[in-house]
Amino acid sequence: MLDFNLSLSSNADSSQIYDTIIIGGGPAGLSAGLYAARYKLKTLMIEKAAVAGGQLTATQWVENYPGFPEPVLGKQLARDMEAQARFFGLEIVNEAVKAVNLAGEIKEITTDYNTWKARAVLISTGSSPKTLNVPGEKEYSGHGVSYCATCDGPFYPDKTVAVVGGGNSAFEESLFIAKYAARIYIIHRRDSFRADPILIERVRQEPKIELITDTVVDEIAFQDSERKLHLKNLKTDQRSDLPVDGIFIFIGANPNTSLFKGQLDMEDGYIVTDREHQTSLAGVWAAGDVQAKSLRQVATAVGDGALAAYKIHKYLDR
Amino acid sequence: MPILDDKVLGEVKKALQNMQKPVTLKLFTQAFECGYCKETHQLLEELISTNTLLKLEVHQFESDTQAVETFGIDKIPAIAVIGEQDYGIRFYGIPAGYEFSSLLSAILMVSTGLVKITDDGKRFLAGLTKPVHLQVFVTPTCPYCPQAVILAHQMAYVSEMVKADMVEISEFPHLAQKYSVQGVPRTTINEKWYQEGAAPEAMIIAKIKESL
Repeated sequence: MLDFNLSLSSNADSSQIYDTIIIGGGPAGLSAGLYAARYKLKTLMIEKAAVAGGQLTATQWVENYPGFPEPVLGKQLARDMEAQARFFGLEIVNEAVKAVNLAGEIKEITTDYNTWKARAVLISTGSSPKTLNVPGEKEYSGHGVSYCATCDGPFYPDKTVAVVGGGNSAFEESLFIAKYAARIYIIHRRDSFRADPILIERVRQEPKIELITDTVVDEIAFQDSERKLHLKNLKTDQRSDLPVDGIFIFIGANPNTSLFKGQLDMEDGYIVTDREHQTSLAGVWAAGDVQAKSLRQVATAVGDGALAAYKIHKYLDR
Repeated sequence: MPILDDKVLGEVKKALQNMQKPVTLKLFTQAFECGYCKETHQLLEELISTNTLLKLEVHQFESDTQAVETFGIDKIPAIAVIGEQDYGIRFYGIPAGYEFSSLLSAILMVSTGLVKITDDGKRFLAGLTKPVHLQVFVTPTCPYCPQAVILAHQMAYVSEMVKADMVEISEFPHLAQKYSVQGVPRTTINEKWYQEGAAPEAMIIAKIKESL
């Protein structure tokens, strides 16, 4: 019931040069932090949120991270990862990074409050939810349009909501919203789903959830007293209206890389690394969702972070 | 049954070990018709056991009209976090889930005087001539919410003109209705202006400027 972090009073000191700075405190960053701290590197994590864990904190249940035969709460896993890294000496400051200068031997990372310096940097800034880019989405963001089920699910007791997407997030979060809402429509542009078969099965067994396939949302028409979505079937071109009280959008993610544009090689906005997570710049690594790769999961992020920390350790040791 | 188990109590103790000055938590409560008053009371009892600098004072919302007025309490459960003075830091609804972080942060801030507001932000807040009321609407399961709450409480700490409330919106559905909240966090400024999301200091300050 009570979740909190301990980064409330940090001893971090911006006049020092750190061995390594980790930007972003999701599973990749926390794993790297654990490994780096155990290598006895002077390590600082810069995390903009008050609670570390990244997207894990907004995930209700995690069922595919090995070692937890019973589903584990995302926030619990995040908290435990953080506690474990801190136990070995990882320091965390809660600041948002404004600018980075990664080219020199000493890397500089500027926030509103400090300029932090390190000999090596690990970028694990993760990704943020993609938007649909349809009329009404921006206007009603926070007024019926949501990207976080654990945050906003409780606003829909006995209501009708739409969930857009066909991947694991859309399916998992729909099952979570089903705890509150009376009726859920999952709207997906294709007739097959990227979600894991086990999740598809579970969704099909949930009587509150109905699947609407081959269909896109053209407009979020929440201005009227009866809120509705304008839908279009991509196979038949037929248009229809769907009355709903709210809409949750889970159609994938965009990498959080705007800070690094022009400084690092990228592919579709993701940071390109070699197989040991080194970026195009010496002394700069990337791990987790922010990296160009094919599978973005807690399990892969954790491996990325560990390997990157190992290579940073070797680099600093040279 | 305790709310805070031994492990959590140990973590809280560690988190609060840097406290310097005493902090009083004033709880406004009543016996009936209050969803989480009892749980909030129990939570605070357990919390104050972790550090001798923490004190709990309980006020009855119905009968203790003078305190209710002095501290401007309009709904319960309510917690006022008081240090050497009343900085206008309030929690409405139980500070459970992720909001427990916000409560610990407020206690530490009031106790140590440490805040993270930029010099520009401090200058702006020091120059305020009109009152600013920040209400941060949250749900306990929202991981992005403490950031917004902590920022608002810091502003209240820095400026006598600023009052800042955490409002756990699922306990006050009439406020969700009144302010048409369907997403959290949302910082409402002087009733009419608002900012969605865990916005950085500069964005909240820009909104405050707009509201004045």
